[in-house]
Amino acid sequence: MDRARVSRRPGGDGRRDSWVAYGLMAPSIGLVALVMAYPVAWEVWVSFTAFSVRDEGRAFVGLANYRAMLADALFWRALAITVVYFALTTAAKLALGLGMALLLARPSRLRAVVFLAAFLPWAYPGGVTVVAWYWMLNPPLITSYSLLAGNLKHAVDGAFGAGAWAFASVALFNVWRGGSFTAVFLLAGLNAIPTELFDYAALETRNGWQRLRHVTVPLLRPFLALAVFLSFTTAFADLANVWLLTGGRIVFPVIGTYAYWLGIRNGQFAEAAAWSLSLVPLLALALLVLFRWFDRPAEQAG
Amino acid sequence: MSGRGRRRHALLLGVVALYSLFPIYFITVQSLKTPEEDVFGSPLWVARPTFENYTELFERGEAQVRGYAILPKVPFVVWLANSAVVLAASVVLTLACAVPAAYALGRLRPAGWRWWRRGLFATYIVPQTILFIPMYQVVLALGLDDSPAALVVIYSTMALPFCIWLLSAYYGNLPREIEESALVEGATRFGAFRRIMLPMSRNVLVAAGLFTLGTVGQDFMFASVFLLDRYKQTVAAGLGVMDVSLEELVAVAGVNLAAIPIVILCALFARGYVRGLTAAMIEGA
Repeated sequence: MDRARVSRRPGGDGRRDSWVAYGLMAPSIGLVALVMAYPVAWEVWVSFTAFSVRDEGRAFVGLANYRAMLADALFWRALAITVVYFALTTAAKLALGLGMALLLARPSRLRAVVFLAAFLPWAYPGGVTVVAWYWMLNPPLITSYSLLAGNLKHAVDGAFGAGAWAFASVALFNVWRGGSFTAVFLLAGLNAIPTELFDYAALETRNGWQRLRHVTVPLLRPFLALAVFLSFTTAFADLANVWLLTGGRIVFPVIGTYAYWLGIRNGQFAEAAAWSLSLVPLLALALLVLFRWFDRPAEQAG
Repeated sequence: MSGRGRRRHALLLGVVALYSLFPIYFITVQSLKTPEEDVFGSPLWVARPTFENYTELFERGEAQVRGYAILPKVPFVVWLANSAVVLAASVVLTLACAVPAAYALGRLRPAGWRWWRRGLFATYIVPQTILFIPMYQVVLALGLDDSPAALVVIYSTMALPFCIWLLSAYYGNLPREIEESALVEGATRFGAFRRIMLPMSRNVLVAAGLFTLGTVGQDFMFASVFLLDRYKQTVAAGLGVMDVSLEELVAVAGVNLAAIPIVILCALFARGYVRGLTAAMIEGA
């Protein structure tokens, strides 16, 4: 922290530097603006209109779409499912990731090999792996394991209602892939903690749990915060996976899939825009918390 | 560590490996089966492995003549090549944009730099759900419809904010004496950056590059929406729309085949990835 403060450049010839800096940032900002600016503006604008395949007029209707959405019981159900989905998968990813990171941080002859194995679920290209998961968990053909998968599906659906298995399979895929990312990310965090701190903590605390709670987790906080945030954004944008893994038959819609269904299947673009924007306040809040934890006050002093 | 503790640790590491690899093992087993064994065999192992499903990806059905090339009916080879080009171009474009921006944000720190950095990162909260509808208009306006270049541009924006965040944290935390000693010796600012700071940030560049690869490799949506011509599709788009209900084994074989190059890349760079993340975050910036 202190080093960051010391290494800050003194004033210098600020004006010229500023122009150089903006010039260097221009490609990135230009690219993001080129790809995102118009689509985001479009989405916001459309959410205030009556735009749909049946009504191309795009009459301005103000907040009507939002009001209708908030009055819709389906919205609250989808929101609840989204939150549950996020909470469950994130908790699982953090627990698994932290466990794996702690195991991998300890020296062992097996470490290098196991580290690669733990890295693979994330590295395996997700856009295609999801196809394989679909085949595993919902085999639509008669295969050697379809009886097993079918029994599982009926057991889970019987206990939690139709579609629960499909929902669980999406969550499982998310946890398998995201847990691997979290593990590697937290391992990098553990490596950043000086070993003397752990030695000191071993003297000061009574057992492993205390050490984890009072030393490891607080020190990893910025890494945990970033992992949670990245998981947050994927949980809400986890659309293609839900779509593919359930073959489009969505019984437990998260906000994203319902918005997609409204927009693409029903052609209700205005409602779809309102639905997908409904998560922005939540995400913005998460981002503010993240900046508080992650963008250290030491930097803000300057 | 005591002997018992060490054995327990090794055992737990074994569990981690098993958990991580089981799904990959499972699909690999299925992909090596004949159709008969797929129905009557055991799901967990394969009695008579065959590479039929893999070879079928390369040579199947009536071939089509296109220009000078003879292409099989499912142009898997073309998909693989397209994926490789798109992924490589995305990584290059992302890093080419991220490195100068990160240097500016981490070193030059123009007025409001923190808000630029945060603002770029905040693009992650934009909901992607139906964003591809207006994005298609942008793609059309740029004249990139049905071109892999559209994907490259979009993918780079998806990975860019995190890469800039990471790299600028690293450049910001480097002691400034490193840069200044080079300046004193008469190097230009650019020279000092290219010869000293850029090589020092090698691992962070690896981390940013692999992150881009992982983010981009996850996409299926944009690929299948923006690439309609089957000879321009990537593996993700192609396998997603392939009539998988009839060709399960071939599709699964395709997944594995597409993963091989990525797995090799990761095996080579995984260590650098972790070192890079650590190096960038060590100051918690």
